[in-house]
Amino acid sequence: MRRLLIGVAIAFLLLFLILPLAVIFVEAFSKGAAVYFNSVNDPDAWAAIKLTLFIAAVAVPLNTIFGVAAAWCIAKYKFPGRSLLLTLVDLPFAVSPIISGLIYVLIFGRQGWLGDWLFDPKYPVPHWVGFAQGWPLNFDWGPHDTIRIIFAVPGIVLATVFVTFPFVARELIPLMEAQGNDEEYAALTLGANGWQTFWRVTLPNIKWGLFYGVVLCNARAMGEFGAVSVVSGHIRGQTNTLPLHIELLYQSPGAYAGAFACASLLTLLALVTMVLKNFIEWRHARAARETA
Amino acid sequence: MRAPRGKPPEPIASAELSTTTTEYHPVQLLMSIHAVNIRKTFGQFIALENLELKVPAGQLVALLGPSGSGKTTLLRVLAGLEYADPGSNGRVYLHGEDVTNTPPGERGVGFVFQHYALFRHLTIFENVAFGLKVRGKKTRPPRAEIEKRVNDLLDLVQLPGIAHRRPHQLSGGQRQRVALARALATEPKVLLLDEPFGALDAKVRKELRRWLRRFHEQVQLTTVFVTHDQEEALELADQVVVMNNARIEQVGPPQEVYDNPATPFVFEFLGNVNRLELTAVPNAPAEATPAQGAVTYVRPHDIELLREPAVDTIPVIVHHVFAAGAGARVQVVGNKTGEWFDVEMTRYDLDKLKPRYAELVHARLRRPRIFTKAGTVPDANPKSKSV
Repeated sequence: MRRLLIGVAIAFLLLFLILPLAVIFVEAFSKGAAVYFNSVNDPDAWAAIKLTLFIAAVAVPLNTIFGVAAAWCIAKYKFPGRSLLLTLVDLPFAVSPIISGLIYVLIFGRQGWLGDWLFDPKYPVPHWVGFAQGWPLNFDWGPHDTIRIIFAVPGIVLATVFVTFPFVARELIPLMEAQGNDEEYAALTLGANGWQTFWRVTLPNIKWGLFYGVVLCNARAMGEFGAVSVVSGHIRGQTNTLPLHIELLYQSPGAYAGAFACASLLTLLALVTMVLKNFIEWRHARAARETA
Repeated sequence: MRAPRGKPPEPIASAELSTTTTEYHPVQLLMSIHAVNIRKTFGQFIALENLELKVPAGQLVALLGPSGSGKTTLLRVLAGLEYADPGSNGRVYLHGEDVTNTPPGERGVGFVFQHYALFRHLTIFENVAFGLKVRGKKTRPPRAEIEKRVNDLLDLVQLPGIAHRRPHQLSGGQRQRVALARALATEPKVLLLDEPFGALDAKVRKELRRWLRRFHEQVQLTTVFVTHDQEEALELADQVVVMNNARIEQVGPPQEVYDNPATPFVFEFLGNVNRLELTAVPNAPAEATPAQGAVTYVRPHDIELLREPAVDTIPVIVHHVFAAGAGARVQVVGNKTGEWFDVEMTRYDLDKLKPRYAELVHARLRRPRIFTKAGTVPDANPKSKSV
């Protein structure tokens, strides 16, 4: 009976998890290694990779700061509106990614609330201020332009920040609530100021939880498709992130293997994330055992 | 500030009297801690109601009360971890200095938390050194001096050789003493302990209690500790502050509050007591009748059982005799009133009396205290004076 159950479980895992993963790599190399490396080496693919890394490099630190601040606020203080804030932190998880993208189009798009003002040629700004198309990949000190957010990189950053906001905060709130305020109060009575208390007491106590949240946040920031697809405009080499680039290749005739080649990169990222996640959980469990 | 070693305490009061003239109020001068008009509310809940606390220098004072009586809140107000309500005009003076709006780190108080709140990721050495290391460059002692002071403190709390360990590797009693060493590292003028023995098992608790008493005699630092355990407060403290319902009920030396409780609450909270509502106490003053809401309190060991009636006895029926150990307890019920009460006597007296079940005997209340709604009836107990 036990063998049967284990067998069923393994068969299920093979069919639904291992097989699709394997298919990605098999398809990626189906036309040979040369095609694989050409697809990855393609300028548009490189642009997508660079853009994806850039987006993550902006969104993850932002959400680390926001997440720690929100978790600190919610876990360590009692104030009116606390549960409302807690609900708001969860909002991006509840909202469909399409909506997450669309809200920014409705605000910053040409027909959006701020559209008239943003696209008014009366207020020109230099390219380097205006987030001109292609920023920051094709840095261009060109003529004056208007501020671009939608169908440009700032929009993608905004959508990604929105979608990935809950990861860090969600990870930290239960942890910080469980740890209570006593150590912070102890630091205060010993003469530490707020900043010293944060760096010397709070942060070391939450570091593994924080690291875990950051890893998950990063994985999602690099892999996000829906919200980014709405705001990106799909401009090859300029506003296509790696997931959008994969979709584009997959839809275009003859680039089937290329799509899988790029997909294999994202898959590798996922595998690295899983390994990191397991490592952190192991360390975390050890730290928890030690302090218990 | 003085080092927490075996030196005699500085005569703070007289020293400051000779140097200052108008800056300090004389009452504050004598007091290490003086808190006035402290009112603290959490929403609708009143935690502290306009109370005043004075602690003379060098004393060990217990804040005693049931949970929710406001004792921990008062301690946190003294430490600056909570602030009295802004409109309440409350002030906190430490050694004559107004620290009402001073942040906790600048008040010169050491605080030991109920669950110690040791920094779990730091070694014991780093824990104790924390208060010195967070100081600004100008006031921070050099590294060698920090090291020396931390090791001295660990010797003082009798935990040498554990500097490299982490909090989770220590027992509860050891953690408690590390927390104490950490609080003393910044050379506080006042030491505040929140339920210092609350999280320890009974045996360790008793040991550590004695240790703390000796320790206090050694360092002579003004110390206030919070407890809900009357035995702890009575055994350890120079002064006991009994708190109830956001107020201070009574302040006095342990024997004083035990022998002469100022209010019915103190009577019931400290030690065993019989509460008699109907019993007509012989020789009771005329105004102390049940109709006036009069209640009589008498300790079980202040009741004498006699074979023969006398003018000041009441007839009772023996219901249960419990004799094990050094003392004996007899449960009796008033023959006329039907009220139950306990009597404690020595085994010697028990053997003399030999009370049996359902036997009629006579009880003499040696030191009854009668409280009416208005307050104590003084005639019934000439010794009692509100403290």
